[in-house]
Amino acid sequence: MSFDSTMVAAFVDGELDDLTARRIEREAESDMALAAEIARHRVLKTKLKAHFAPVVEEAVPERLRALLIEPKISNSLSSRREARRARFAPIHWGAIAAALVLGLTIGLKPWMPVADVGDANGALVASGALATALDTQLASNQRAGAAVRIGLSFRDKQGRTCRSFEGRKLSGIGCRDQGRWALERTLTGQAGNDYRQASSGALAADAAAMMAGDPFDAATERAARDRGWSD
Amino acid sequence: MRFEEELVELLPRLRRFARGLARDVSDADDLCQAAIERALKSREQWQQGTRLDSWMYRITRNLWIDERRAAGRRGIHAPIDDAVTQVAGEGASEVEAGALRGDVDGAMAHLPDEQREVVMLVLVEGYAYREAAELLEIPIGTITSRLARGRETLMHLLGEAA
Repeated sequence: MSFDSTMVAAFVDGELDDLTARRIEREAESDMALAAEIARHRVLKTKLKAHFAPVVEEAVPERLRALLIEPKISNSLSSRREARRARFAPIHWGAIAAALVLGLTIGLKPWMPVADVGDANGALVASGALATALDTQLASNQRAGAAVRIGLSFRDKQGRTCRSFEGRKLSGIGCRDQGRWALERTLTGQAGNDYRQASSGALAADAAAMMAGDPFDAATERAARDRGWSD
Repeated sequence: MRFEEELVELLPRLRRFARGLARDVSDADDLCQAAIERALKSREQWQQGTRLDSWMYRITRNLWIDERRAAGRRGIHAPIDDAVTQVAGEGASEVEAGALRGDVDGAMAHLPDEQREVVMLVLVEGYAYREAAELLEIPIGTITSRLARGRETLMHLLGEAA
């Protein structure tokens, strides 16, 4: 064999220049020992990768996340990805299947809980009770025990109408985009008043950063709702 | 993106790397925790624009080596030096070929520490030789020789010998 083991390893690791790599490939077509050596290295690499790959899919232990995430507004890709992943956990597939079966056999399924967050082309959007609250609820006259509390309504720098909201499970900021409420900030909520206050502050700060001009007063908010949140 | 958020995104990969070094799940997560705490404390040392993952891997790896050395002094693990490396390598070759077929963890455990970290970085984490050399602050030639020895041992134990 004219290629030693280190060379084969470098080939499998993609460390050879194109010319040498091509030479090895060509030689392996006629040199069975070389072909076997390459295969042996590839098998090992594949085996190692496959062995450690599941670690990346594991849920990160809370004690590690907690070092980096205080209860604050999260707009990161990872939180979106997690939200997406959570929606397609096996249990949800079960729910989807069940909903389909029920839907096919009985038609409407008003007893199914409606998720508050949906997905529109990879972006998080409000749905269900959250969408209804964002559509209809006014900060100026909401019930004390409302499941979702609307905070500020305002126009953002892109000219969209945005509303901050706080709920037991989810808080954040939704912005009106193509007839939906795109969730620009999300923060998984927890029950408890202390938390609410903390998240209120963080959301207000975030809203302030997004805002163009002043937040809506009661009259502007009502007028915007009556126009269906469009311009 | 904020420093903490970037670290959160890195966590799954960092856990994988740590798992390869420390093997035991909770030991590996302890190592990650120590690395995160160290990173938060010395975040000014990370230069914006350089790879945060490499910086984190280096911190993790250094903490792990420190721990192994301390344990070695207490007589728990073999200390890391080249004489021992040779012994460890020879020891592995006395094990019957293919004896650990399918047991990747067991086979990795036979590797001396400095081979195991190179195997993890290059074969699992996909680092180029040069990047791995920079991360570990050793010459490229040392990377290739450690990698070659680590590979031979693994192939032998896992039954991939030619």
